[in-house]
Amino acid sequence: MKEMIKMVVVLSVLCAISGSGLAALKQVTEPIIEEQVLTYVQAPAIESVLTGYDNDPIKDRKKFEYDGQVVMVFPAIKDGKLIGVALETASKGFGGQINVMVGFDVAAGALSGIGITTMKETPGIGSRVAESGFTAQFQGHPLKMVELKSKGGDIDAIAGATISSTGTVNAVQNALAIYNSLKDQFAQSWS
Amino acid sequence: MSKLWKEFSKGLWKELPPFKLVLGLCPVLAVTNTANNGLGMGAAVIFVLTLSNLLVSLVRKAIPAKVRIACFIVIAASLVVAVELLMQAFSYPLYQQLGIFVPLIVVNCIILGRAEAFASKNPPLLSIADGLGMGIGFTMSLTFLGSLREILGQGTWFGMHVTWDGFEPFGFMVQAPGAFVSLGVLLALMNFMENVRRKRRGLKAVEGPSHDCGSCGACGSSSKC
Repeated sequence: MKEMIKMVVVLSVLCAISGSGLAALKQVTEPIIEEQVLTYVQAPAIESVLTGYDNDPIKDRKKFEYDGQVVMVFPAIKDGKLIGVALETASKGFGGQINVMVGFDVAAGALSGIGITTMKETPGIGSRVAESGFTAQFQGHPLKMVELKSKGGDIDAIAGATISSTGTVNAVQNALAIYNSLKDQFAQSWS
Repeated sequence: MSKLWKEFSKGLWKELPPFKLVLGLCPVLAVTNTANNGLGMGAAVIFVLTLSNLLVSLVRKAIPAKVRIACFIVIAASLVVAVELLMQAFSYPLYQQLGIFVPLIVVNCIILGRAEAFASKNPPLLSIADGLGMGIGFTMSLTFLGSLREILGQGTWFGMHVTWDGFEPFGFMVQAPGAFVSLGVLLALMNFMENVRRKRRGLKAVEGPSHDCGSCGACGSSSKC
């Protein structure tokens, strides 16, 4: 009996110590990790979808509320004027979530490009949605009828990767919906 | 002092973890496609192994024998999560490269093996020496294997171009089969060197398993014995 109590006590104390230690460490590192993820995952995508800005889109980022969810929006500002925004949305692909950074050209009212930030699509097949052959189709695309050709739009799907292509297009459509409902707020917050 | 040195240095050659003890093969095979990845994984293992050895050794008298494995795993797992958080915070590109393999350090046999075989029976200072030695030996092996595969498979070493112009890299070497082949060749070379050493001392060479193969039949050479 005594041995059993000792076992329980030792293991519980050990777990309690390591649990609280890790919780503290997590709290300390959380803001640093968020910064790192922005720099290494989002920054390259933002650079590829926004052009001609003279600010730091990551530093000037703001959070907006859409449909009960928080959306992080990165602005492109030139000479104090908002010329574009980028926001990240996700949609279900073949191997999990496809996260897409979508850039909008405010003045032209068009997409300025898309970039895939994270995905788990099949290498060599679905992963080709991240290649410029596919993503270039969104550059300068007007803000309507973003849809695959098979569904009446003008985006060519990648052969053999319909689900991945659809997922990417869905993510862009989500971004479009967010942009359309929030664009007045964007103009106010960065002007 | 000499005892401390003995415990430290045994991990560097005599009990070199992946090649002599053949422990911890999952990271050895999986992350050694470049020298840099091998070094990073090794550094994480040094950190976890040394600290887990120290902690296990400190609490070794308080741990009841029946739950010792659970206690060792709790200690190793906490350290691994700590490493993962720190790596994400301060070396994100390395974290992106090593990805899934960092959490897998928990189940790396070396950590549990050293805790059970050494740290739970020895004082803290010796355990640190053992952990450091084993960790450095593991890192050296991973970096060596990574260098070999990176030079042959990509023509670079730590990202620097080291081969002559016109060198055609074997893409095979940086993929999974290349890991098995190079590990096998390295193990064969280690055994060959061991036999040469034994011959020089006038000992009989080691040849395959010395136990009774006939009774097991699982290995291909059972018909020969």
